Amino acid sequence: MHKDDQMTPKERMAGFFSGKDIDRIPILPFVTAVSGKAIGMTHREKRSSAENLFKCQSACYERFGHDSISVEYGLHGIGTAMGSVTNNPENNVPAIMDHYLKNLNDLDSKLDLSKIERKNDPWAQMNYEMAQMTLDKYGSEVGVSLSTPGPITAASSLYPIEKLLRATRKDPDHVHQLLRFATDAIKLLAKEFMDGGVGISLCDPVASGTILNEKSYREFVLPYTKEIIQFIHDYGKSVTYHVCGDTSALTEAMVESGCNVLSIDNRVSLEDTKKRVGNQIVLMGNVDPISKMMQGTPEDVEEAVKECLRQGYDNPKGYLLSTGCGIPIDSPIENIDTFMKAGRKYGKWPLDPERFA
Amino acid sequence: MAASKEELLNRLSDCVLEMEDEEVTGVAEEYVDAGYEALDGIMEGLVDGMNKASDLYDQEEYFVTDLLLCSDAMYAGLDVLRPHLPEEETSQKPRAVIGVVEGDTHDIGKNLVRIMMETAGFEMYDLGRDVPLDDFVTKAKEVNASLVMMSTLMTTTMMGMPEVIKKLEEAGIRDQVKVMIGGSPISRKYADDIGADGYSANAVEAVKVAKQLLGME
Repeated sequence: MHKDDQMTPKERMAGFFSGKDIDRIPILPFVTAVSGKAIGMTHREKRSSAENLFKCQSACYERFGHDSISVEYGLHGIGTAMGSVTNNPENNVPAIMDHYLKNLNDLDSKLDLSKIERKNDPWAQMNYEMAQMTLDKYGSEVGVSLSTPGPITAASSLYPIEKLLRATRKDPDHVHQLLRFATDAIKLLAKEFMDGGVGISLCDPVASGTILNEKSYREFVLPYTKEIIQFIHDYGKSVTYHVCGDTSALTEAMVESGCNVLSIDNRVSLEDTKKRVGNQIVLMGNVDPISKMMQGTPEDVEEAVKECLRQGYDNPKGYLLSTGCGIPIDSPIENIDTFMKAGRKYGKWPLDPERFA
Repeated sequence: MAASKEELLNRLSDCVLEMEDEEVTGVAEEYVDAGYEALDGIMEGLVDGMNKASDLYDQEEYFVTDLLLCSDAMYAGLDVLRPHLPEEETSQKPRAVIGVVEGDTHDIGKNLVRIMMETAGFEMYDLGRDVPLDDFVTKAKEVNASLVMMSTLMTTTMMGMPEVIKKLEEAGIRDQVKVMIGGSPISRKYADDIGADGYSANAVEAVKVAKQLLGME
Protein backbone atom coordinates (compact mmCIF):
# COMPACT_ATOMS: atom_id res chain seq x y z
CA MET A 1 0.00 0.00 0.00
CA HIS A 2 1.23 3.52 -0.86
CA LYS A 3 2.69 5.46 2.05
CA ASP A 4 0.23 8.33 1.65
CA ASP A 5 -2.88 6.12 1.77
CA GLN A 6 -4.87 4.55 4.57
CA MET A 7 -6.56 1.84 2.52
CA THR A 8 -5.48 -0.53 -0.22
CA PRO A 9 -6.97 0.08 -3.67
CA LYS A 10 -9.07 -3.08 -3.28
CA GLU A 11 -10.53 -1.90 0.03
CA ARG A 12 -11.10 1.56 -1.41
CA MET A 13 -12.82 0.39 -4.60
CA ALA A 14 -15.02 -2.04 -2.65
CA GLY A 15 -15.94 0.75 -0.25
CA PHE A 16 -16.66 3.17 -3.05
CA PHE A 17 -19.01 0.81 -4.87
CA SER A 18 -20.85 -0.22 -1.70
CA GLY A 19 -21.27 3.37 -0.50
CA LYS A 20 -19.05 3.06 2.56
CA ASP A 21 -16.55 5.60 3.88
CA ILE A 22 -13.15 5.50 2.26
CA ASP A 23 -9.90 7.43 2.76
CA ARG A 24 -9.90 9.28 -0.58
CA ILE A 25 -11.45 9.32 -4.03
CA PRO A 26 -10.26 6.44 -6.23
CA ILE A 27 -7.63 7.73 -8.66
CA LEU A 28 -7.26 5.90 -11.97
CA PRO A 29 -4.88 7.64 -14.39
CA PHE A 30 -4.41 5.70 -17.67
CA VAL A 31 -0.87 4.50 -17.06
CA THR A 32 -0.09 2.36 -20.09
CA ALA A 33 2.14 3.66 -22.90
CA VAL A 34 4.03 5.83 -20.41
CA SER A 35 4.76 3.07 -17.88
CA GLY A 36 8.32 2.34 -19.05
CA LYS A 37 9.38 5.80 -17.96
CA ALA A 38 9.17 4.75 -14.32
CA ILE A 39 12.30 2.61 -14.83
CA GLY A 40 13.77 4.22 -17.95
CA MET A 41 12.76 1.37 -20.25
CA THR A 42 11.88 1.98 -23.89
CA HIS A 43 8.54 0.82 -25.23
CA ARG A 44 10.19 -1.77 -27.47
CA GLU A 45 12.12 -3.25 -24.54
CA LYS A 46 8.97 -3.27 -22.43
CA ARG A 47 6.83 -5.13 -24.92
CA SER A 48 9.53 -7.76 -25.51
CA SER A 49 8.72 -9.86 -22.43
CA ALA A 50 6.16 -10.52 -19.71
CA GLU A 51 8.86 -9.79 -17.15
CA ASN A 52 9.51 -6.32 -18.59
CA LEU A 53 5.81 -5.52 -18.90
CA PHE A 54 5.48 -6.51 -15.25
CA LYS A 55 8.49 -4.48 -14.12
CA CYS A 56 7.11 -1.30 -15.68
CA GLN A 57 3.61 -1.62 -14.25
CA SER A 58 5.01 -2.73 -10.90
CA ALA A 59 7.30 0.32 -10.70
CA CYS A 60 4.38 2.61 -11.55
CA TYR A 61 2.16 1.07 -8.91
CA GLU A 62 4.89 1.30 -6.26
CA ARG A 63 5.46 4.94 -7.14
CA PHE A 64 1.91 6.21 -7.69
CA GLY A 65 -0.30 3.86 -5.68
CA HIS A 66 -3.09 4.33 -8.23
CA ASP A 67 -6.18 2.18 -7.92
CA SER A 68 -5.80 -0.31 -10.76
CA ILE A 69 -2.89 -1.94 -12.56
CA SER A 70 -3.18 -2.19 -16.34
CA VAL A 71 -2.36 -5.11 -18.58
CA GLU A 72 -0.98 -3.39 -21.69
CA TYR A 73 -2.50 -5.70 -24.28
CA GLY A 74 -3.39 -2.66 -26.39
CA LEU A 75 -5.84 -2.06 -29.21
CA HIS A 76 -4.33 -4.13 -32.03
CA GLY A 77 -4.07 -7.51 -30.31
CA ILE A 78 -6.94 -9.16 -32.14
CA GLY A 79 -5.61 -7.87 -35.45
CA THR A 80 -2.08 -9.12 -34.86
CA ALA A 81 -3.33 -12.49 -33.57
CA MET A 82 -5.05 -12.96 -36.93
CA GLY A 83 -2.16 -11.73 -39.07
CA SER A 84 -2.22 -7.94 -39.27
CA VAL A 85 1.32 -6.58 -39.18
CA THR A 86 2.51 -3.63 -37.08
CA ASN A 87 5.68 -1.58 -37.20
CA ASN A 88 8.20 -1.89 -34.35
CA PRO A 89 9.02 1.60 -33.08
CA GLU A 90 11.69 2.05 -30.43
CA ASN A 91 9.69 4.26 -28.15
CA ASN A 92 6.10 4.39 -29.33
CA VAL A 93 3.04 2.19 -29.37
CA PRO A 94 3.15 0.11 -32.57
CA ALA A 95 0.79 1.05 -35.41
CA ILE A 96 -0.72 -1.32 -37.97
CA MET A 97 1.10 -1.18 -41.30
CA ASP A 98 -0.69 -3.98 -43.10
CA HIS A 99 -4.18 -5.21 -42.31
CA TYR A 100 -5.01 -8.91 -42.34
CA LEU A 101 -8.13 -8.47 -44.46
CA LYS A 102 -7.87 -6.97 -47.94
CA ASN A 103 -11.57 -7.25 -48.71
CA LEU A 104 -14.71 -8.53 -47.05
CA ASN A 105 -15.60 -11.20 -49.58
CA ASP A 106 -13.92 -14.25 -48.15
CA LEU A 107 -14.59 -13.77 -44.47
CA ASP A 108 -15.79 -17.35 -43.99
CA SER A 109 -12.42 -18.76 -44.89
CA LYS A 110 -10.37 -15.99 -43.28
CA LEU A 111 -11.90 -15.70 -39.84
CA ASP A 112 -10.72 -18.36 -37.43
CA LEU A 113 -11.47 -17.83 -33.75
CA SER A 114 -8.86 -20.33 -32.56
CA LYS A 115 -6.10 -17.87 -33.57
CA ILE A 116 -7.28 -15.61 -30.75
CA GLU A 117 -6.78 -18.28 -28.11
CA ARG A 118 -3.93 -17.54 -25.77
CA LYS A 119 -2.15 -20.78 -26.61
CA ASN A 120 -2.01 -19.67 -30.25
CA ASP A 121 -1.20 -16.00 -29.74
CA PRO A 122 2.17 -15.21 -28.14
CA TRP A 123 1.19 -11.57 -27.43
CA ALA A 124 -1.93 -12.58 -25.47
CA GLN A 125 0.11 -15.22 -23.65
CA MET A 126 2.81 -12.67 -22.73
CA ASN A 127 0.20 -10.31 -21.32
CA TYR A 128 -1.46 -13.15 -19.46
CA GLU A 129 1.85 -14.07 -17.83
CA MET A 130 2.43 -10.43 -16.93
CA ALA A 131 -1.01 -10.37 -15.30
CA GLN A 132 -0.23 -13.51 -13.28
CA MET A 133 3.06 -12.03 -12.02
CA THR A 134 1.18 -8.90 -11.01
CA LEU A 135 -1.55 -10.84 -9.24
CA ASP A 136 1.03 -12.96 -7.41
CA LYS A 137 2.73 -9.88 -6.03
CA TYR A 138 -0.14 -7.40 -5.61
CA GLY A 139 -3.33 -9.40 -6.04
CA SER A 140 -4.33 -9.06 -2.41
CA GLU A 141 -4.29 -5.26 -2.52
CA VAL A 142 -5.07 -3.99 -6.03
CA GLY A 143 -7.13 -5.08 -9.02
CA VAL A 144 -5.46 -5.95 -12.31
CA SER A 145 -7.37 -4.93 -15.42
CA LEU A 146 -7.12 -5.84 -19.09
CA SER A 147 -8.27 -3.15 -21.46
CA THR A 148 -9.71 -4.99 -24.44
CA PRO A 149 -10.52 -3.27 -27.72
CA GLY A 150 -14.21 -2.73 -28.39
CA PRO A 151 -15.90 -4.39 -31.39
CA ILE A 152 -15.35 -1.77 -34.08
CA THR A 153 -11.79 -1.07 -32.93
CA ALA A 154 -11.06 -4.80 -33.11
CA ALA A 155 -12.67 -4.93 -36.57
CA SER A 156 -10.54 -2.04 -37.76
CA SER A 157 -7.40 -3.83 -36.57
CA LEU A 158 -8.33 -6.45 -39.17
CA TYR A 159 -9.58 -4.20 -41.99
CA PRO A 160 -8.62 -0.55 -42.67
CA ILE A 161 -10.97 1.98 -41.15
CA GLU A 162 -11.72 3.95 -44.32
CA LYS A 163 -12.75 0.81 -46.14
CA LEU A 164 -14.72 -0.36 -43.12
CA LEU A 165 -16.64 2.93 -42.94
CA ARG A 166 -17.50 2.79 -46.66
CA ALA A 167 -18.64 -0.80 -46.23
CA THR A 168 -21.07 0.19 -43.47
CA ARG A 169 -23.14 1.66 -46.34
CA LYS A 170 -22.16 -0.46 -49.31
CA ASP A 171 -21.85 -3.85 -47.72
CA PRO A 172 -23.39 -3.80 -44.24
CA ASP A 173 -23.94 -7.59 -44.10
CA HIS A 174 -20.23 -8.28 -44.31
CA VAL A 175 -19.51 -5.54 -41.81
CA HIS A 176 -21.88 -7.26 -39.40
CA GLN A 177 -20.19 -10.57 -40.10
CA LEU A 178 -16.83 -9.02 -39.25
CA LEU A 179 -18.23 -7.39 -36.10
CA ARG A 180 -19.76 -10.74 -35.11
CA PHE A 181 -16.28 -12.25 -35.28
CA ALA A 182 -14.69 -9.32 -33.42
CA THR A 183 -17.29 -9.67 -30.67
CA ASP A 184 -16.70 -13.41 -30.30
CA ALA A 185 -12.95 -12.76 -30.26
CA ILE A 186 -13.26 -10.14 -27.52
CA LYS A 187 -15.43 -12.47 -25.43
CA LEU A 188 -12.91 -15.27 -25.84
CA LEU A 189 -10.04 -13.00 -24.83
CA ALA A 190 -11.97 -11.60 -21.87
CA LYS A 191 -12.94 -15.07 -20.69
CA GLU A 192 -9.36 -16.34 -20.71
CA PHE A 193 -8.19 -13.35 -18.67
CA MET A 194 -11.17 -13.41 -16.29
CA ASP A 195 -10.44 -17.12 -15.69
CA GLY A 196 -7.01 -15.90 -14.60
CA GLY A 197 -8.43 -13.40 -12.11
CA VAL A 198 -8.13 -10.29 -14.28
CA GLY A 199 -10.80 -7.56 -14.58
CA ILE A 200 -11.95 -6.15 -17.91
CA SER A 201 -12.39 -2.67 -19.26
CA LEU A 202 -13.55 -1.97 -22.77
CA CYS A 203 -11.94 0.69 -24.95
CA ASP A 204 -13.37 1.50 -28.37
CA PRO A 205 -11.65 4.56 -29.88
CA VAL A 206 -12.96 3.89 -33.39
CA ALA A 207 -16.54 4.28 -32.09
CA SER A 208 -15.67 7.94 -31.45
CA GLY A 209 -18.31 10.54 -32.15
CA THR A 210 -15.67 12.20 -34.34
CA ILE A 211 -16.01 9.23 -36.71
CA LEU A 212 -19.48 7.77 -36.22
CA ASN A 213 -22.84 9.42 -35.76
CA GLU A 214 -25.39 8.09 -33.31
CA LYS A 215 -27.28 6.13 -35.94
CA SER A 216 -24.16 4.25 -37.04
CA TYR A 217 -23.13 3.77 -33.43
CA ARG A 218 -26.48 2.21 -32.63
CA GLU A 219 -26.36 -0.05 -35.65
CA PHE A 220 -22.73 -1.16 -35.72
CA VAL A 221 -21.37 -0.71 -32.21
CA LEU A 222 -24.01 -0.75 -29.50
CA PRO A 223 -25.56 -4.22 -30.01
CA TYR A 224 -22.15 -5.91 -29.93
CA THR A 225 -20.97 -3.81 -27.01
CA LYS A 226 -24.08 -4.74 -25.03
CA GLU A 227 -23.45 -8.39 -25.71
CA ILE A 228 -19.81 -8.18 -24.53
CA ILE A 229 -20.76 -6.30 -21.37
CA GLN A 230 -23.57 -8.74 -20.61
CA PHE A 231 -21.11 -11.59 -21.04
CA ILE A 232 -18.74 -10.01 -18.50
CA HIS A 233 -21.61 -9.32 -16.11
CA ASP A 234 -22.75 -12.93 -16.38
CA TYR A 235 -19.24 -13.90 -15.36
CA GLY A 236 -19.73 -11.77 -12.24
CA LYS A 237 -17.52 -8.81 -13.10
CA SER A 238 -18.11 -5.13 -13.79
CA VAL A 239 -17.00 -3.14 -16.83
CA THR A 240 -15.54 0.30 -17.36
CA TYR A 241 -16.25 1.59 -20.87
CA HIS A 242 -14.20 4.23 -22.67
CA VAL A 243 -14.63 5.71 -26.13
CA CYS A 244 -12.14 8.35 -27.29
CA GLY A 245 -12.78 11.81 -28.69
CA ASP A 246 -15.93 13.86 -28.59
CA THR A 247 -18.73 11.43 -27.77
CA SER A 248 -21.19 14.05 -26.51
CA ALA A 249 -23.77 12.94 -29.10
CA LEU A 250 -23.44 9.31 -27.99
CA THR A 251 -23.63 9.69 -24.21
CA GLU A 252 -27.07 8.14 -23.66
CA ALA A 253 -26.39 5.37 -26.17
CA MET A 254 -23.11 4.52 -24.45
CA VAL A 255 -24.91 4.24 -21.12
CA GLU A 256 -27.40 1.83 -22.76
CA SER A 257 -24.45 -0.53 -23.25
CA GLY A 258 -24.93 -1.56 -19.61
CA CYS A 259 -21.42 -0.60 -18.52
CA ASN A 260 -20.85 0.04 -14.81
CA VAL A 261 -18.50 2.99 -15.19
CA LEU A 262 -18.47 5.45 -18.09
CA SER A 263 -14.99 6.86 -18.66
CA ILE A 264 -15.15 10.05 -20.70
CA ASP A 265 -12.55 11.76 -22.88
CA ASN A 266 -11.40 15.29 -22.05
CA ARG A 267 -13.23 16.50 -25.18
CA VAL A 268 -16.48 15.72 -23.41
CA SER A 269 -17.90 17.96 -20.70
CA LEU A 270 -17.98 16.16 -17.36
CA GLU A 271 -20.51 18.69 -16.08
CA ASP A 272 -22.85 18.10 -19.04
CA THR A 273 -22.46 14.31 -18.84
CA LYS A 274 -23.28 14.44 -15.14
CA LYS A 275 -26.51 16.32 -15.85
CA ARG A 276 -27.55 13.94 -18.60
CA VAL A 277 -26.70 10.50 -17.17
CA GLY A 278 -25.23 11.05 -13.73
CA ASN A 279 -28.25 9.56 -11.99
CA GLN A 280 -27.74 6.32 -13.92
CA ILE A 281 -24.02 5.67 -13.90
CA VAL A 282 -20.65 6.20 -12.23
CA LEU A 283 -18.55 8.66 -14.22
CA MET A 284 -14.80 8.69 -14.62
CA GLY A 285 -12.55 11.34 -16.11
CA ASN A 286 -11.19 13.50 -17.58
CA VAL A 287 -7.99 15.54 -17.14
CA ASP A 288 -6.55 16.41 -20.56
CA PRO A 289 -3.67 13.99 -21.20
CA ILE A 290 -2.00 16.21 -23.76
CA SER A 291 -2.30 19.85 -22.70
CA LYS A 292 -2.06 18.97 -18.98
CA MET A 293 -0.28 15.64 -18.43
CA MET A 294 2.20 15.96 -21.29
CA GLN A 295 2.57 19.69 -21.88
CA GLY A 296 1.37 21.16 -18.58
CA THR A 297 3.28 22.37 -15.54
CA PRO A 298 2.67 20.75 -12.15
CA GLU A 299 0.43 23.75 -11.36
CA ASP A 300 -1.61 23.07 -14.52
CA VAL A 301 -2.07 19.44 -13.50
CA GLU A 302 -3.11 20.38 -9.98
CA GLU A 303 -5.61 22.93 -11.25
CA ALA A 304 -7.02 20.42 -13.77
CA VAL A 305 -7.58 17.87 -10.99
CA LYS A 306 -9.42 20.48 -8.95
CA GLU A 307 -11.55 21.42 -11.95
CA CYS A 308 -12.56 17.78 -12.51
CA LEU A 309 -13.45 17.42 -8.85
CA ARG A 310 -15.54 20.58 -9.01
CA GLN A 311 -17.49 19.17 -11.95
CA GLY A 312 -17.66 15.53 -10.92
CA TYR A 313 -17.71 15.26 -7.12
CA ASP A 314 -21.51 15.48 -6.79
CA ASN A 315 -22.33 13.05 -9.57
CA PRO A 316 -25.36 11.22 -8.15
CA LYS A 317 -24.00 7.74 -8.91
CA GLY A 318 -20.42 8.61 -7.98
CA TYR A 319 -17.28 9.91 -9.59
CA LEU A 320 -13.78 8.49 -10.13
CA LEU A 321 -10.80 10.74 -10.85
CA SER A 322 -8.96 9.88 -14.04
CA THR A 323 -7.34 11.20 -17.18
CA GLY A 324 -9.45 11.68 -20.32
CA CYS A 325 -7.44 9.10 -22.25
CA GLY A 326 -4.02 7.41 -22.18
CA ILE A 327 -1.17 9.45 -20.75
CA PRO A 328 1.25 10.11 -23.64
CA ILE A 329 4.58 8.34 -23.54
CA ASP A 330 6.46 11.65 -23.60
CA SER A 331 4.79 13.04 -20.49
CA PRO A 332 7.01 13.99 -17.57
CA ILE A 333 6.46 11.28 -15.00
CA GLU A 334 6.45 13.97 -12.31
CA ASN A 335 3.12 15.13 -13.70
CA ILE A 336 1.64 11.77 -12.73
CA ASP A 337 3.10 12.24 -9.23
CA THR A 338 1.39 15.62 -9.13
CA PHE A 339 -1.87 14.13 -10.42
CA MET A 340 -1.84 11.56 -7.60
CA LYS A 341 -0.80 14.10 -4.99
CA ALA A 342 -3.55 16.51 -5.99
CA GLY A 343 -6.08 13.66 -6.08
CA ARG A 344 -5.09 12.64 -2.54
CA LYS A 345 -5.13 16.21 -1.25
CA TYR A 346 -8.35 17.49 -2.80
CA GLY A 347 -10.08 14.14 -2.98
CA LYS A 348 -9.77 13.34 0.72
CA TRP A 349 -12.94 11.64 1.96
CA PRO A 350 -15.59 12.82 2.51
CA LEU A 351 -15.35 15.05 -0.55
CA ASP A 352 -15.64 18.67 0.50
CA PRO A 353 -16.27 21.23 -2.27
CA GLU A 354 -14.67 23.92 -0.07
CA ARG A 355 -11.35 22.14 -0.47
CA PHE A 356 -11.26 22.32 -4.27
CA ALA A 357 -13.30 25.51 -4.72
CA MET B 1 -35.14 15.06 -75.65
CA ALA B 2 -31.60 15.82 -74.49
CA ALA B 3 -31.19 17.13 -70.98
CA SER B 4 -30.27 20.80 -70.55
CA LYS B 5 -26.88 21.75 -69.20
CA GLU B 6 -28.40 23.04 -66.00
CA GLU B 7 -30.33 19.84 -65.49
CA LEU B 8 -27.18 17.75 -65.92
CA LEU B 9 -25.19 20.01 -63.60
CA ASN B 10 -27.86 19.54 -60.96
CA ARG B 11 -27.76 15.80 -61.45
CA LEU B 12 -23.95 15.73 -61.15
CA SER B 13 -24.19 17.73 -57.95
CA ASP B 14 -26.93 15.47 -56.59
CA CYS B 15 -24.97 12.32 -57.43
CA VAL B 16 -22.07 13.57 -55.32
CA LEU B 17 -24.30 14.74 -52.48
CA GLU B 18 -26.21 11.46 -52.52
CA MET B 19 -23.06 9.34 -52.84
CA GLU B 20 -24.06 7.77 -56.17
CA ASP B 21 -20.59 6.72 -57.27
CA GLU B 22 -21.90 4.54 -60.12
CA GLU B 23 -24.70 6.69 -61.46
CA VAL B 24 -22.39 9.71 -61.56
CA THR B 25 -20.27 8.13 -64.29
CA GLY B 26 -23.25 7.83 -66.62
CA VAL B 27 -24.38 11.38 -65.93
CA ALA B 28 -20.86 12.72 -66.53
CA GLU B 29 -20.68 10.83 -69.83
CA GLU B 30 -24.05 12.20 -70.87
CA TYR B 31 -22.80 15.69 -70.00
CA VAL B 32 -19.63 15.30 -72.07
CA ASP B 33 -21.51 13.73 -75.00
CA ALA B 34 -23.86 16.70 -75.04
CA GLY B 35 -20.80 18.89 -75.62
CA TYR B 36 -20.98 20.98 -72.47
CA GLU B 37 -17.80 22.38 -70.93
CA ALA B 38 -15.92 19.96 -68.67
CA LEU B 39 -14.75 22.71 -66.31
CA ASP B 40 -18.33 23.80 -65.60
CA GLY B 41 -19.27 20.18 -65.03
CA ILE B 42 -16.55 19.93 -62.42
CA MET B 43 -17.07 23.27 -60.69
CA GLU B 44 -20.84 23.72 -60.93
CA GLY B 45 -21.67 20.02 -60.80
CA LEU B 46 -19.30 17.77 -58.88
CA VAL B 47 -17.65 20.40 -56.69
CA ASP B 48 -21.00 22.02 -56.00
CA GLY B 49 -22.22 18.66 -54.66
CA MET B 50 -19.10 18.25 -52.55
CA ASN B 51 -19.51 21.77 -51.16
CA LYS B 52 -23.08 20.97 -50.19
CA ALA B 53 -21.81 17.81 -48.50
CA SER B 54 -19.28 19.85 -46.55
CA ASP B 55 -22.04 22.25 -45.46
CA LEU B 56 -23.99 19.27 -44.16
CA TYR B 57 -20.83 18.06 -42.40
CA ASP B 58 -20.54 21.48 -40.77
CA GLN B 59 -24.13 21.16 -39.59
CA GLU B 60 -23.36 17.65 -38.28
CA GLU B 61 -25.89 16.14 -40.68
CA TYR B 62 -23.10 14.33 -42.53
CA PHE B 63 -20.25 12.45 -40.89
CA VAL B 64 -16.89 11.09 -41.96
CA THR B 65 -18.43 8.10 -43.74
CA ASP B 66 -20.71 10.38 -45.76
CA LEU B 67 -17.85 12.63 -46.84
CA LEU B 68 -15.81 9.62 -47.93
CA LEU B 69 -18.65 8.27 -50.04
CA CYS B 70 -19.43 11.70 -51.51
CA SER B 71 -15.78 12.05 -52.46
CA ASP B 72 -15.82 8.62 -54.11
CA ALA B 73 -18.66 9.85 -56.31
CA MET B 74 -16.85 13.13 -57.01
CA TYR B 75 -13.66 11.33 -58.07
CA ALA B 76 -15.63 8.90 -60.25
CA GLY B 77 -17.15 11.91 -62.02
CA LEU B 78 -13.77 13.64 -62.28
CA ASP B 79 -12.31 10.58 -63.99
CA VAL B 80 -14.81 11.14 -66.78
CA LEU B 81 -14.62 14.94 -67.01
CA ARG B 82 -10.90 15.64 -66.47
CA PRO B 83 -9.67 14.28 -69.81
CA HIS B 84 -11.94 16.84 -71.48
CA LEU B 85 -10.40 19.85 -69.74
CA PRO B 86 -8.44 22.22 -71.96
CA GLU B 87 -4.72 22.01 -71.09
CA GLU B 88 -4.25 25.50 -69.68
CA GLU B 89 -7.07 25.17 -67.17
CA THR B 90 -5.02 22.93 -64.89
CA SER B 91 -1.92 24.99 -64.17
CA GLN B 92 -2.99 28.00 -62.14
CA LYS B 93 -3.97 26.28 -58.91
CA PRO B 94 -2.21 27.00 -55.61
CA ARG B 95 -0.12 24.01 -54.61
CA ALA B 96 -0.06 22.28 -51.26
CA VAL B 97 2.02 19.42 -49.88
CA ILE B 98 0.24 17.21 -47.36
CA GLY B 99 1.15 14.17 -45.28
CA VAL B 100 1.03 12.32 -41.96
CA VAL B 101 4.30 12.92 -40.13
CA GLU B 102 6.86 10.20 -39.62
CA GLY B 103 6.00 7.52 -37.08
CA ASP B 104 2.25 7.66 -37.57
CA THR B 105 0.04 5.77 -39.97
CA HIS B 106 -3.40 7.13 -39.10
CA ASP B 107 -4.40 8.95 -42.24
CA ILE B 108 -8.18 9.24 -42.42
CA GLY B 109 -8.11 12.88 -41.27
CA LYS B 110 -5.33 13.76 -43.70
CA ASN B 111 -7.25 12.11 -46.55
CA LEU B 112 -10.37 14.12 -45.77
CA VAL B 113 -8.37 17.35 -45.75
CA ARG B 114 -6.81 16.42 -49.09
CA ILE B 115 -10.24 15.74 -50.57
CA MET B 116 -11.72 19.02 -49.34
CA MET B 117 -8.66 20.97 -50.51
CA GLU B 118 -8.87 19.39 -53.95
CA THR B 119 -12.54 20.25 -54.04
CA ALA B 120 -11.66 23.84 -53.25
CA GLY B 121 -9.30 24.00 -56.22
CA PHE B 122 -5.89 23.33 -54.67
CA GLU B 123 -3.36 21.15 -56.41
CA MET B 124 -2.52 18.61 -53.74
CA TYR B 125 0.71 16.64 -53.42
CA ASP B 126 -0.12 13.84 -51.01
CA LEU B 127 3.00 12.26 -49.49
CA GLY B 128 0.88 9.64 -47.71
CA ARG B 129 1.47 8.44 -44.16
CA ASP B 130 4.58 7.90 -42.05
CA VAL B 131 6.33 10.59 -44.11
CA PRO B 132 10.03 11.27 -43.39
CA LEU B 133 10.32 14.89 -42.23
CA ASP B 134 12.76 15.89 -44.98
CA ASP B 135 10.26 14.81 -47.63
CA PHE B 136 7.90 17.66 -46.75
CA VAL B 137 10.69 20.15 -47.48
CA THR B 138 11.97 18.42 -50.60
CA LYS B 139 8.50 18.19 -52.10
CA ALA B 140 7.59 21.77 -51.20
CA LYS B 141 10.72 22.98 -53.00
CA GLU B 142 10.22 20.70 -55.96
CA VAL B 143 6.65 21.80 -56.71
CA ASN B 144 7.02 25.36 -55.47
CA ALA B 145 4.25 24.84 -52.95
CA SER B 146 2.58 27.67 -51.11
CA LEU B 147 1.27 25.42 -48.33
CA VAL B 148 2.71 22.60 -46.23
CA MET B 149 0.08 20.64 -44.31
CA MET B 150 0.94 18.10 -41.62
CA SER B 151 -1.28 15.77 -39.66
CA THR B 152 -0.87 13.29 -36.81
CA LEU B 153 -3.03 11.34 -34.40
CA MET B 154 -0.23 10.35 -32.07
CA THR B 155 1.38 12.49 -29.41
CA THR B 156 4.74 10.90 -30.06
CA THR B 157 4.87 12.13 -33.62
CA MET B 158 3.58 15.66 -33.14
CA MET B 159 7.16 16.63 -32.19
CA GLY B 160 8.04 16.08 -35.84
CA MET B 161 6.03 19.15 -36.82
CA PRO B 162 8.37 21.80 -35.34
CA GLU B 163 11.24 19.83 -36.88
CA VAL B 164 9.73 20.28 -40.33
CA ILE B 165 9.28 23.99 -39.68
CA LYS B 166 12.95 24.20 -38.69
CA LYS B 167 13.93 22.33 -41.83
CA LEU B 168 11.90 24.72 -43.97
CA GLU B 169 13.85 27.57 -42.38
CA GLU B 170 17.17 25.85 -42.99
CA ALA B 171 16.20 25.29 -46.61
CA GLY B 172 15.50 28.99 -46.89
CA ILE B 173 11.86 28.58 -47.96
CA ARG B 174 10.04 29.19 -44.69
CA ASP B 175 8.78 32.59 -45.85
CA GLN B 176 7.53 31.13 -49.14
CA VAL B 177 5.13 28.64 -47.55
CA LYS B 178 2.37 28.71 -45.01
CA VAL B 179 2.41 25.78 -42.59
CA MET B 180 -0.83 24.23 -41.38
CA ILE B 181 -1.17 21.44 -38.85
CA GLY B 182 -4.00 19.31 -37.54
CA GLY B 183 -4.96 16.03 -35.92
CA SER B 184 -6.49 14.84 -32.70
CA PRO B 185 -3.70 15.81 -30.25
CA ILE B 186 -3.06 19.15 -31.98
CA SER B 187 -4.48 22.41 -30.67
CA ARG B 188 -4.40 26.00 -31.78
CA LYS B 189 -2.07 26.66 -28.87
CA TYR B 190 0.35 23.98 -30.04
CA ALA B 191 0.29 25.48 -33.53
CA ASP B 192 1.14 28.89 -32.05
CA ASP B 193 3.84 27.41 -29.81
CA ILE B 194 5.72 25.77 -32.67
CA GLY B 195 5.30 28.67 -35.07
CA ALA B 196 2.84 27.07 -37.50
CA ASP B 197 0.72 29.54 -39.45
CA GLY B 198 -2.58 27.75 -39.21
CA TYR B 199 -4.55 25.08 -37.38
CA SER B 200 -7.94 23.60 -38.04
CA ALA B 201 -10.07 21.16 -36.10
CA ASN B 202 -11.58 19.47 -39.16
CA ALA B 203 -11.32 19.11 -42.92
CA VAL B 204 -13.96 21.65 -43.84
CA GLU B 205 -12.42 24.32 -41.66
CA ALA B 206 -8.98 23.49 -43.08
CA VAL B 207 -10.05 24.87 -46.46
CA LYS B 208 -11.21 28.13 -44.92
CA VAL B 209 -7.95 28.51 -42.99
CA ALA B 210 -5.87 27.72 -46.09
CA LYS B 211 -7.71 30.31 -48.15
CA GLN B 212 -7.31 32.92 -45.43
CA LEU B 213 -3.60 32.22 -45.11
CA LEU B 214 -3.09 32.63 -48.83
CA GLY B 215 -5.28 35.72 -49.04
CA MET B 216 -7.75 34.01 -51.33
CA GLU B 217 -10.84 35.26 -49.55
